[in-house]
Amino acid sequence: MPATSNDYALGEMLAVLLARDLGDGEKAIVGTNSDIQVAACNLARQRQAPRLWWVSGPGGMTNPTEGIVRPAADAENIAVAQAVMDLPLMIDFIDWRIHFFDFAILGALQTDRFGNINTVCIGDHARPRLRGPGTVGISALTGLSRRFYIMMTRHDRGAFVPRVDFICGAGHLDGGTSRTDRGLPEGGPRLVVTPLGVFDFAPNSKAMRIRSLHEGVSLEEARDNTGFDLLVPDQVARTAPPQAEELFLLRRTVDTTGVLARKFPWPRAA
Amino acid sequence: MSGTKAADKVMSLDAALSVVKDGMTVGIGGWIFSGQPMALVRGLIRKGVRDLHLVPAPGSVAPDMLIGAGCAAKTACVFISFEHLGLAPNFRRAAQSGAVEVLEMDGPGIAGGLRAGACDLPYMLIPDLGTDLPKVNPAGYRKARIQEGGRKLLEVPAIKPDVVLLHGQQADEEGNVQYFGPSFFDILLAQAARHVICSVDRIVPASTVRQDARLTKIPAALVDAVVVAPFGAHPGASPGLYGQDEAHLKAYVAASRDAAAFGAYLKDYVLEAGAEGAYHERIGACTLAALSAGVAAP
Repeated sequence: MPATSNDYALGEMLAVLLARDLGDGEKAIVGTNSDIQVAACNLARQRQAPRLWWVSGPGGMTNPTEGIVRPAADAENIAVAQAVMDLPLMIDFIDWRIHFFDFAILGALQTDRFGNINTVCIGDHARPRLRGPGTVGISALTGLSRRFYIMMTRHDRGAFVPRVDFICGAGHLDGGTSRTDRGLPEGGPRLVVTPLGVFDFAPNSKAMRIRSLHEGVSLEEARDNTGFDLLVPDQVARTAPPQAEELFLLRRTVDTTGVLARKFPWPRAA
Repeated sequence: MSGTKAADKVMSLDAALSVVKDGMTVGIGGWIFSGQPMALVRGLIRKGVRDLHLVPAPGSVAPDMLIGAGCAAKTACVFISFEHLGLAPNFRRAAQSGAVEVLEMDGPGIAGGLRAGACDLPYMLIPDLGTDLPKVNPAGYRKARIQEGGRKLLEVPAIKPDVVLLHGQQADEEGNVQYFGPSFFDILLAQAARHVICSVDRIVPASTVRQDARLTKIPAALVDAVVVAPFGAHPGASPGLYGQDEAHLKAYVAASRDAAAFGAYLKDYVLEAGAEGAYHERIGACTLAALSAGVAAP
C-alpha cells in the first residue's frame, strides 16, 4: 500500500511527475482513456513546455486546452483545439513514420523487467484467464516514438511481472541491445511512474531500476510488490512530492473540474 | 450499388439490413463510446444473423452486444473496451471460453489492411514492431521480403468488409453523411467496404448539408444505404447531439454478468422491443431528452 497523501490524489501525483519530464517543443500523442496523460501534457504546457504539441490519437484534435480534462476522443475538444485532423491522414505518422513523436505515455495490464507492455491478455492467448482490451496504437507508439513512459495506477506482483504474457508494446524486449538487434528504431521506455515510485532502465542491461521512491515507501515495499528483482542504486532517492505551485496550476488551469481526483483516488487500505 | 437512384438510398432499417447474410464480414465504425451504430446492431440481432466475422474499429457496446447475442463466430480485436466502466463484458467472456475466435490486431494492422482494401491492393506493408501479434495471428501478419539491411516489415492482407455499419449525425436524401465530431476510421471503412450502411440521427434538406460541406465525411458516392435512426447510437454518444448514457451502460455491464442475465437484457431491449420506436419508449423520453441536453438523466 503506497503512502497516501491528503494533499493530492493518486492521479494528480502521477500527472505532476510525468509533466516534469516533458520538454518544450516536443511532439506527443495521447490515446483513448487518457485523463492522466492529457493532464500531464497540459500541465507541462503551463510550466516548462509552453510549445509542447500534442494530438488526440483517435480524434485528431491538437493542443485542446481549456481547463477541463476530457476523454481524448471527445468531440468537445474540437472547439478548443488548434487543428482537427482526420484519422486516415494521421495513420501515416502514427503507424509508419519513425520518431515523428518524441513521446507517448501508456498504461498497461502488465509490464516487466525490460519495460515491455501487455494490454491483450493474462494467460495463454487462446484461452486467456483475463481477456484485455487489445493493442490499438500501443505497438506503434512504443515501437516508433523516440521514447515512452509507462504509467501504472497499481504497483503489485500482478502488474509487475518477470515477463509479460503478451508483448503488444515492445520495450527493451530481452534487455541489452535486443531492441535494436530486433530491427526496432532507437527508443524504448524512459520512466515508469507508479503509486510507489519512479523507475528507469539501467544504461547497459536495460533492466528496470529504482530512480526514486515516494514519501513513506520503503525499499522492502517496492521489492515485495514487484515480481522481479529491481536494480537498486547505492543511494535510493526520495521522489520530490508535488509542489504547491504544481498543484495550483494543475487545479486552476488544467483540471478545473477535478476529474483526476474523482477518477484516480488513492486505493483504500486493504 | 451502381445504378441505385439517389433518393432510393434512404430506406428502413430492415430493408437496409436485408443485404447482411450469415457468415459475412461486417465492419463497425465509431470509437469506443462515440458513434457506435447501435440501431443497426439491434436490427442485426433481431434479424438473427449468425457466424459473422466482425471487423470493429476500436469499440465498446456495438461489438460486445453482437458477440453476446451469438451473432459472431469471429472478431478482429484492435481494441474493445468499456474504458472507465471496465472490460467489455460479453467479449471478455466469449474470448475466455473460446466461444468467439479472436483475430488479434493492432492500429497499424487495421489501418494497413483497410487501406489495402480501399486501394484494391493485395496487402499493405507495415513496420515489424516486435510484438507477439504475428505469433497469434500469422495469417494477419506475414513476414515481408525485404532488402538486406532494410527496415523489417510485415504484410497485412487487404480487409474488404462485405458490409460496414456506420453512424453519422445527419444526412441528406442523396446520402451525404455529416459528422459533428471526429470520424475516426469511418472514412477508411467506407472506402474499403463493398457495401456501406449509415444510420443518422436525422435527415436534413440538401441545403443544410451545403451550409457546411466540411462536415460531410462520407460523401454520397461511398454510401449505399441511409437509415434514419433517431438516438441510433444510444447507449453510446452521437457527438454534438447527445452524450453516452452512463446509467444505461452501467446497467448493461451489470446485466452482462452471465449469459442468462444478458439474455434477459436482449429480450427486454432488443427482441421484444421489436423496433427502434419501442426501444425509445423503454429508455424513456425524459432520459433521451436529458442526454440531448447534456445533463444527467432524471
